Amino acid sequence: MRRGFPWARHAVLVLVSAVMLLPFYWVLKTAITDENIYAYPPRLTPLDPHLFNFVDVWYLIPFPRYLLNSVIVSALAVAGNVVLNALAGYALTRHFPAKRLVLLLLLSCMLIPFQATIIPAYLISARLGVLNTHLGLALPLLSTIVCIFIYKASFEAVPKSLIDAARIDGLSEWRIIATVLLPLSKPAIATNVILAFIWSWNSFMWPLIITRDAEMQTLPLGLARFLSYLEDTTGALYAFVVMVLLPGILVFLMAQKEFIRGLTSGATKG
Amino acid sequence: MATVSLRQVRKAFGGVEVVHGVDLEIADGEFVVLVGPSGCGKSTILRMVAGLEDITSGEIAIDGAVVNERDPKDRDIAMVFQDYALYPHMSVAENMAFSLRYRGVGKPEIRRRVEEAASILDIAHLLARRPRELSGGQRQRVAMGRAIVRDPKVFLFDEPLSNLDAKLRVQMRTEIKRLRDRLRATTIYVTHDQVEAMTLADRIVVMQGGHIQQVGTPEEIYDTPATSFVAGFMGAPAMNLLPGAIAGGAAVLPDGTAIPLPPDAHGYEGEALVIGLRPERLGYLAPDAPTDRPVIDAPAVVVEPLGSETLVTLDLAGHALHVKVPPRSVRRPGERVRLAIAPDSVHLFDRDTGRRL
Ligand SMILES: Nc1ncnc2c1ncn2[C@@H]1O[C@H](COP(=O)(O)OP(=O)(O)O)[C@@H](O)[C@H]1O
Ligand SMILES: [Mg+2]
Repeated sequence: MRRGFPWARHAVLVLVSAVMLLPFYWVLKTAITDENIYAYPPRLTPLDPHLFNFVDVWYLIPFPRYLLNSVIVSALAVAGNVVLNALAGYALTRHFPAKRLVLLLLLSCMLIPFQATIIPAYLISARLGVLNTHLGLALPLLSTIVCIFIYKASFEAVPKSLIDAARIDGLSEWRIIATVLLPLSKPAIATNVILAFIWSWNSFMWPLIITRDAEMQTLPLGLARFLSYLEDTTGALYAFVVMVLLPGILVFLMAQKEFIRGLTSGATKG
Repeated sequence: MATVSLRQVRKAFGGVEVVHGVDLEIADGEFVVLVGPSGCGKSTILRMVAGLEDITSGEIAIDGAVVNERDPKDRDIAMVFQDYALYPHMSVAENMAFSLRYRGVGKPEIRRRVEEAASILDIAHLLARRPRELSGGQRQRVAMGRAIVRDPKVFLFDEPLSNLDAKLRVQMRTEIKRLRDRLRATTIYVTHDQVEAMTLADRIVVMQGGHIQQVGTPEEIYDTPATSFVAGFMGAPAMNLLPGAIAGGAAVLPDGTAIPLPPDAHGYEGEALVIGLRPERLGYLAPDAPTDRPVIDAPAVVVEPLGSETLVTLDLAGHALHVKVPPRSVRRPGERVRLAIAPDSVHLFDRDTGRRL
């Protein structure tokens, strides 16, 4: 890896990044120009850029309402994952009867696709009376098994003697999690934040099923509805897409460094 | 300050018993060192006293009160760990203050105690730093400071020096000794290093395989080891343990050297036994020096000059015999070495049970 031409390596990386970034650029370009995306030959640079599409999206549909719903649901999901997964992850680092069975069950549950659980989830939500509410929208997203295991791996990397010391210092199990383990597991927290955010932000099927009013709908539903409203609206559509993507990109950029450490720490520390 | 009692304490991990019924009474203010080879159950005993491990059977009492069911935080103990166990995300001062914050001690009082402990340990200038910015020896001091601020009934140390390099270990050992004399607190100190045990302890508990082999002051352990294991484990270099027999009122070494025994040993006539000779108690004799003591005469195999003295390994009829001789008295392998044996420095052990005779 260390040998060879650094500029060659850079060239390859720049090329790959360009390939990855090009679609984003194209969406952004179309959003600010109303260009026909089928035009041949395609223009690389935007001609007459403007922001009218963004304004249209904001006022033509209840975009702020969708945005608010999405933010509330994602905030609930992020808070739920960060807290609940930490508790579950800590439990899995301790010894208890039938622990192996519990681990096996959790792992096998990861194999069940969400679609297969939608009907029971709907029935449970109905019983709880949370259909068509923010809590109902967030409920199935409040905890994720993968993210529990990310916490578990991170907690296991904390020296056992620290937890012993905390116990002697007089901390309850709750406090051990909050004041010793979590501050030492920032990458795991960041990973939970990002994954929970992305999954809840992009979630489509569940909100589609559980919401009854347009008032409760989230951005992905709004996007679908928007698609059916207008005809020649590529520019506006792409503006919508940009506005949906932006918060996710911001969250990722803010937590990026810790996130990458979180994804790889389990791999290196076993 | 407090007493600690262990009564028939046993510990099993998943059906495998690793501590087999340990009895121990520790007096108020006593510094007791548990010493033994790795895996003999020292840490397990310490962790049971701390409340970090359940007790499979038996009783542990602190200050007369049985604490089997008490959480660690309610036992009023403080523990210093081998890896120091400092919270990496807190400063030195926060580490030291941490436990006090959860015990309802007021802020000014916390500050006072932290500063006092810091000055005792000479770490006052480090209070604002994070543990990772400290050297091993400094972390060690902080770990002790964290225990001292608590002013607990009992201090527990689990191999506190074994992560330090040799030079620092000696320095910190002296430090702990100084601290010990200053605090005079009830302490249980675990180590596998017999020098630490000898230098620090009021009383030493020698352990092997989950059993207590002997309890005694450092002098007792050194002068009258109860078993051949204790004899071989305590002392540096280790005591020579040679197969032998008693014949004609004398202990006979493998090479035939006979060491006359006091009359009370005559009951063992004819028995096979282990003869223990401390390397430092064998008197070097110049080639022609006269003596009225029994003499070992054997060729040197290995000569290790240390400057202040020389370690020599002799070949005693096929058995290695280690001795300490004056510097420059023996220079190279092959030389014959004569050693005078003081009869009162001979230790006899049963060959089968290892018990002292
Ligand atoms: N949590 C545990 N689970 C199973 N066995 C253990 C555990 N802790 C210690 N042991 C075993 O108990 C024995 C004593 O261990 P320990 O007290 O740590 O020894 P020491 O501190 O004297 O080196 C060892 O054989 C060790 O393998
Ligand atoms: Mg140990």
